[in-house]
Amino acid sequence: MAEIIKGKGAVPGVAVGTVLVLSTDLDKELAKYAQAAPEVEEKKYYAVQQKVAAELEESVNNAKDKNQKEQLAILEAHQGIILDPVLKAGIVEKIRHHMSAPLAVLKTSEEMAQMFADIEDAYLRERAADIKDVGKKIVHEMLGIGQPDFDRGNLIICGEEIDPCVIADLPDGKVTGVIIGHGSTTSHAVIIAKAKGLPTVVGLGEAVKRLENDTRIVLDANQGTVIINPDESTAENYTEKVKKELELNQYYLSLSELPAVTLDGVGVTLAANIGNPKDIDNALKYGCNGVGLFRTEFVFMGRETLPTEEEQYTAYKYVIEKCGDKLCVIRTMDIGGDKPLPYLNIKKEENPFLGWRAIRICLERTDIFLTQIKAILRAGVYGNAAIMLPMIISLEEILEAKAIIRQAMSELESEGRKYVSQIQIGIMVETPAAALMTPVLAKECDFFSIGTNDLTQYTLAVDRGNPSVSKLYSPYHPAVLNLIDITVHAAHSNNIWVGMCGEMAGDPVASRLLVAMGFDELSMSAPSIPKVKEKVRSITFDKALVTRALSQLNADEVTKLLV
Amino acid sequence: MIQENMVLTNELGLHARPASALTKIALKYKSNVTLQGNGKTVDAKSIIMVMTMGVKGGCPLVVIADGPDELECMAAIQDLVENKFYEE
Repeated sequence: MAEIIKGKGAVPGVAVGTVLVLSTDLDKELAKYAQAAPEVEEKKYYAVQQKVAAELEESVNNAKDKNQKEQLAILEAHQGIILDPVLKAGIVEKIRHHMSAPLAVLKTSEEMAQMFADIEDAYLRERAADIKDVGKKIVHEMLGIGQPDFDRGNLIICGEEIDPCVIADLPDGKVTGVIIGHGSTTSHAVIIAKAKGLPTVVGLGEAVKRLENDTRIVLDANQGTVIINPDESTAENYTEKVKKELELNQYYLSLSELPAVTLDGVGVTLAANIGNPKDIDNALKYGCNGVGLFRTEFVFMGRETLPTEEEQYTAYKYVIEKCGDKLCVIRTMDIGGDKPLPYLNIKKEENPFLGWRAIRICLERTDIFLTQIKAILRAGVYGNAAIMLPMIISLEEILEAKAIIRQAMSELESEGRKYVSQIQIGIMVETPAAALMTPVLAKECDFFSIGTNDLTQYTLAVDRGNPSVSKLYSPYHPAVLNLIDITVHAAHSNNIWVGMCGEMAGDPVASRLLVAMGFDELSMSAPSIPKVKEKVRSITFDKALVTRALSQLNADEVTKLLV
Repeated sequence: MIQENMVLTNELGLHARPASALTKIALKYKSNVTLQGNGKTVDAKSIIMVMTMGVKGGCPLVVIADGPDELECMAAIQDLVENKFYEE
């Protein structure tokens, strides 16, 4: 019997497949665990330890065959940890004191990880994470959570919450859709799903629990619905739609080589927004002309300690190299109280979006900023990188940041490292303050990039994640458009380039207006590139449209003008 | 019981890979093996404990082996350390 659950479409598209539940709620699983007598628990631990060790052995051999040196080093360390006699002794002692086997493993691995906290060497200090990983691996095995098996393919992954890193690391071509119980349409998991072009439905709430492994479902992210056990005709209908979307996608991919130029010859650079270094591979397929926004938050998230210069360097270098001679704009850390990190120690704030975040943290925690800048400058040697500062509201912030960038250069010089000494430095224009100050800020910038999501929220005082007011959110509001126009003028009268990297840039409805305003670059999630390109190639440059749009009384009137 | 004073000549000291190599050797022998370095004393058969020492390249390391095969064990560890853990 078919059943329909209603949620909210976050990434458009449809998919037909089987459910793969990703459960990450360890506490709940632990609570359900039926504990046996200590002798039985101890035997269970040994059995699982041997099983996981054998699996690791296989992965080690695999990595050796493929000559994956970095993976090999990690896997070998994991192998050593799982068989570690001191870890084992700690676990067994707890079990003999009537603790359940999974809890004993979890506790002991956490205690041992704690011993790494005051090691001076940063690399070794981070091995604490390896010990916790191994502990979790054993616990997952004991609780039967297991590592998800993607091999079957045609899967729709599903969870109350899904870790963004899990979506980032999905194997190619095995997963066709994403369902998230909680979650707004703009969570990080969704942003990555979007970059990967995976149809996504969010906000199913409790109903998400009704989705069990291997259930056949239809995911319609255009309608925001999930159909459980669809009847034959519905399934067929949707399979046909999936096929049509694939064909459309093929068509879009075929546009990748064509230039983004209007019928009357006005060109605009279409760049990609990426979050995970690997996103660049997908973005290049869609014909991106460089990267207009590389969100570096993912380097910082999902971990217990700050990423090292080396780790950041590797991530940035990967993307910069892939961009070749095209520009790769790297935005420095944009984190605040809404995505707290264990090592940042941000106090709970009433208004994290108006709080200690992004450049405000970087200018105080200069250790974090310096490390990131040094990694960017070193990676810049491999291509054409630019630094973009988020959340700017004043000239002083830019000057201070530039002083730190100079300090990073002189440190790299004395360390004898290779780095780029000539690099474009620009800002995100995402606060009304920055937009109004652009005539002044332009003197110290090599470029502007307008972040329309935050600029709209801050200008209209609307939290778009709040369902009671989200209908008031629109970048087409004339107030926002006027700030955008001021920014474009300030850039061009100071001979610097101006781009847009908010979601508006990827909306084909906006293309005619943005081209008319004179944008040099539009940066968007990869799947939007061909759609915007198709639009740009079908229009003419219409300067008069700007004046008309700016003089409208509300967002609705502006959009009417554009469609 | 025998004791040898060594110096780590590899660049990184007892990082994950060198620690893993040393632990693997210690585990092959029946003897108890203890390491002293950076003000800490640990069981050489535990990779976790060896890593928590945080011994850097160029630092001294004391190795103590005690058991029926202590001589062979010490020779194997000495060979590993002198050859910079066979890293490239």
